[in-house]
Amino acid sequence: MPSLVSDPGESLVPFSPQVGEPVVYPLRHGLKPPFTRLSISWSRGNSLRVAFFKTPNEASPSSDDETGGKVLEVKLAEGGGETDEAQRRRIAYESVSAFAHLQMRRNSADSLSRMSYGSSSYRAEWWQHVMEYSKQISSILGAPKASSSSVIEDPKTVVKLEEEPTCLKAAWDLMEIFYVDKQARAWLPERLVDWLAGYDGLLSGPVDSTIYSKLLSLQKELVNLQVIEDEPKYWEAMSSALAVGWLDIVVKLLRLHGSYKLDQLGNRETENGLVEAVAVLVSTMPRMRPGLAAQKPGRCYDTKPDFFKAWEKWRGQIAKLDCSPFWVECGHRPTREGLWNLLQVMLGNTSSLASVTCHWLELCISHFLYVRHFTMSLEAIHSLAQKCMQLKPPSDSQWLTGLMFGILEENTEVVLAECSRVFGPWMVTHAIELLTADNVQADFLLHEERYNLGGISIEELHRIVYAQVLSSHALTWPIAPVYLASCPKQGFGLLEILLYRQPVQHDKTLLKNLEICRLYELDNISSCLKKITGMLHWKHGKKGSGVFWLQQAQDDVRLNRIAQQLFEFVGKSVSDDSFKQWEGLIELLGSEASTAGGLEFLHKYKDFKKSLQKVQDGKASDAARQAIEYLIQLMKNPSTPERFWLPLLHDSVNLLNWRERPLMNVSETNLLLSKLQELSLARLRPGFCDSHLPPQALSSVRLALATNLGRAILELKPQEDPEFRTPY
Amino acid sequence: MGGSQEHQKFQKAAMEKTLVNLKEGSICCSWNYCGQRLASGSSDGGLSIYDSIDPTTPSSSLRLTSSWKAHERGVEKVVWVPPEYGDAVACICNDGTLSLWEETEEDTQPLTWKLCKLFESNKSQALDLQFGVCLTSLKLVVAYSDGLVKVYELLEPLELNMWQLQAQFQNVTDSTSRFGKLACLSASVAWNQQRNGSQQSSFILGFNSDLPQFNSAKVWEFDEAHQRWLSVAELALPEDKGDRVYAVAWAPNIGRPYEVVAVATCKGIAMWHLVSDSDTDGRISKEKVALLSGHDGEVWQLEWDMSGMTLASTGGDGVVRLWQSNLNGVWHEQAALESS
Repeated sequence: MPSLVSDPGESLVPFSPQVGEPVVYPLRHGLKPPFTRLSISWSRGNSLRVAFFKTPNEASPSSDDETGGKVLEVKLAEGGGETDEAQRRRIAYESVSAFAHLQMRRNSADSLSRMSYGSSSYRAEWWQHVMEYSKQISSILGAPKASSSSVIEDPKTVVKLEEEPTCLKAAWDLMEIFYVDKQARAWLPERLVDWLAGYDGLLSGPVDSTIYSKLLSLQKELVNLQVIEDEPKYWEAMSSALAVGWLDIVVKLLRLHGSYKLDQLGNRETENGLVEAVAVLVSTMPRMRPGLAAQKPGRCYDTKPDFFKAWEKWRGQIAKLDCSPFWVECGHRPTREGLWNLLQVMLGNTSSLASVTCHWLELCISHFLYVRHFTMSLEAIHSLAQKCMQLKPPSDSQWLTGLMFGILEENTEVVLAECSRVFGPWMVTHAIELLTADNVQADFLLHEERYNLGGISIEELHRIVYAQVLSSHALTWPIAPVYLASCPKQGFGLLEILLYRQPVQHDKTLLKNLEICRLYELDNISSCLKKITGMLHWKHGKKGSGVFWLQQAQDDVRLNRIAQQLFEFVGKSVSDDSFKQWEGLIELLGSEASTAGGLEFLHKYKDFKKSLQKVQDGKASDAARQAIEYLIQLMKNPSTPERFWLPLLHDSVNLLNWRERPLMNVSETNLLLSKLQELSLARLRPGFCDSHLPPQALSSVRLALATNLGRAILELKPQEDPEFRTPY
Repeated sequence: MGGSQEHQKFQKAAMEKTLVNLKEGSICCSWNYCGQRLASGSSDGGLSIYDSIDPTTPSSSLRLTSSWKAHERGVEKVVWVPPEYGDAVACICNDGTLSLWEETEEDTQPLTWKLCKLFESNKSQALDLQFGVCLTSLKLVVAYSDGLVKVYELLEPLELNMWQLQAQFQNVTDSTSRFGKLACLSASVAWNQQRNGSQQSSFILGFNSDLPQFNSAKVWEFDEAHQRWLSVAELALPEDKGDRVYAVAWAPNIGRPYEVVAVATCKGIAMWHLVSDSDTDGRISKEKVALLSGHDGEVWQLEWDMSGMTLASTGGDGVVRLWQSNLNGVWHEQAALESS
């Protein structure tokens, strides 16, 4: 199926030739077609769930499998192909703090510049912060680079095999050289020499060979070689290593020459002298750089005139050796020719350089070292690289070529596209900081807000894409908010959706997610999560947790409804024992009248029922008096609904008929009697809702109240009763 | 670039994992909000719920936890109720009835799935339904085979059985004309999923019917002032207005200044940009930015990812296609997932 893009005739956007073929992923579900339907659903991030529904096979039902379909989860993991998942996760986790720290610095720099205070100087120093960031990331990407030129104890080891460096780290370091390290610009070619020394091995592949791979194969054979200087590989490897400036390897290999052996020294004096002379020349080669690692051969010069003077002198020595009569006296032909080749490399013989290097970048580097020391501008490097590539065309799949040419052509878009194609969203997101560190043009390109992208910049787009990748996996999801928080336009929008789609059943994850909400002040989504949790518990029978979470969510609508439900429940079955279950809920709902109007009543009602319980348990008449007090409060309170009056009074008949003494005084009894009277009148109104009490309830209450009133009057001392009080 | 062995190392990988095998006869399914529960309907009228075996890991396999007979005939569509209203699903049976099932625990009864509402309809069949959370209330849009749309509103946030019919109308721009008898094969509804509640609630609806006026996808918006639903945009060019609509999907908006809606018709998948313009008296200005083709024949489903940047589609060719817009705003097929 060809890729079909927006039809230019129909759409307003013209056809863009940049659109590539769609990637085709196979889906292995193991089901036999045909399928009636496919159903899709996005999960968090980039994972897509695909359901296949089998067409019922009527001819042979349930022949091979009894499933009616299958649901697959497809993780559209993009990029980072060379590193495994665990490694990617480690890198993702470890790079967060460096990224966040740099963002923090940027924010403070921005606020400084808004105050127009020292902004220009801050901007000028910005690259140093990025440099620090770049170094941190680089160290996360792998141990210090495997040095192909390390001098180690074992004389038979020329190339040290350490932890394999990754292309990711190589690419990162390359971008650091070109985009961030301002100090490197004065000696850019030598920086590339160092870079190649660390990562040359990564340029080799099934099609491409490199000097590194050449040295490796020589190293394997070294143990078996009796007369090393007879072996053409030995000489070839040395010329190649010399061409790319791995001087220590050359010196080391030269000293493995048979003429150094004590038993042969006498016979091969001249030969040994020539070998040693070349070794000395190699180890004194002038280098246009500030310094070299300890014990590395070569002499450093950091100013052009000094270097040039030393170079001329060194070249003079080589020329002198080249014309020396000792060559004739050297009887060993391979040595003579091999040394001569080394001299040709040092003399910058371009055809020699071309024949001893394998990869175009190696050839390019050899030109920096021996032919064009002062190639500094990107333009010059670019034209040299192009020439080298014509001589040594790379295979199509070379990860380096696209990236390198993007850099040399100063084409930020190509660099980003290559980073994305080869290394994936992690690289793009983090490398943008390098690209914009000291480049106004890239800064503009990547920070310009684009309507096509929904009003965001390319930088923000890549951060969002990366955050989506992170959120696809439970283990990396917690770091996605850091990247989303650095997206000014759409980051929080996506973060809210991501948080909304997190499960709430587990308190631990819920609390973590609520903490994220708190951190980024996402109050809406926080209360939404609490609401979902509250409803889940409420519906699943955990009423207490339900109320708790709904309170946390300040969901007055639902809480009011719950209070209403309790209210209705209480109204239906006042004397029911199941009230105990609700008691806790009433307690939990709290006494704040703001949450629910009926709550105040429910609380008093609960207290009343409790003390009534105590009375029934046969406890002292104090409890009975207490119950009466609650009853009076309830009956006095306007929030107590009318329909509760009779049940309340009926529940208290025992109290009204308290044997020991009347529990209510005259005015209290009168209050209750007047309520009873109101109730009797209300019963005549249409629509009155009768309680489920026996029909004689009203009269029994009235009788009890009347009795109580009588007893209360009898108990009354004359001075206590205002009605009996006579004025003086 | 690409092609040689070296490139293999970097080829983008899709890792698939089987989450669950569905019961025999399954014909539809739906995931809940967090992707840990799957509801599936089958041709014998059964509903099944599958749950994550280990809910702490998101890609955990699932197992069947509940299964019951919901209808006498096949269940055509299952949709989860938004989580703010509990664990519940709505399902459409192919006899046209619509039912709502809720998982609750009451008093001493254990946690079970119970029928909480059966929406009766006389002759017409429910074709599609979608829930929308609007400000504080829950709304349900149901599209019927007679071309009618009904909008229900939940009266009580705690009770899923108390619904009120808020409005019913036809998917036509000219509401005064009378139309003959209509036979709709399918319908597709999608809400504008606004999480902040600042905007008016709106949804898009399209039909696959034999009456052209009903087909084209129209954006319906609730006019609070007059308490009625208004058609504010018709997402079809004049020459495409009668095209049968197979599927619609409203992209989540995480901060774009415009809305993106995908509409699949027989001509392909059209991408629309919608801008609410305050100057034009509430009318929405619309722009068709792309027409994508890839599926041979009918498009079954359109699904936007969380960011609203990638659209996934399935169709009669049995392929899942992923669509994205590039930096220049050009929509293209980014990937295809094919059965092997």
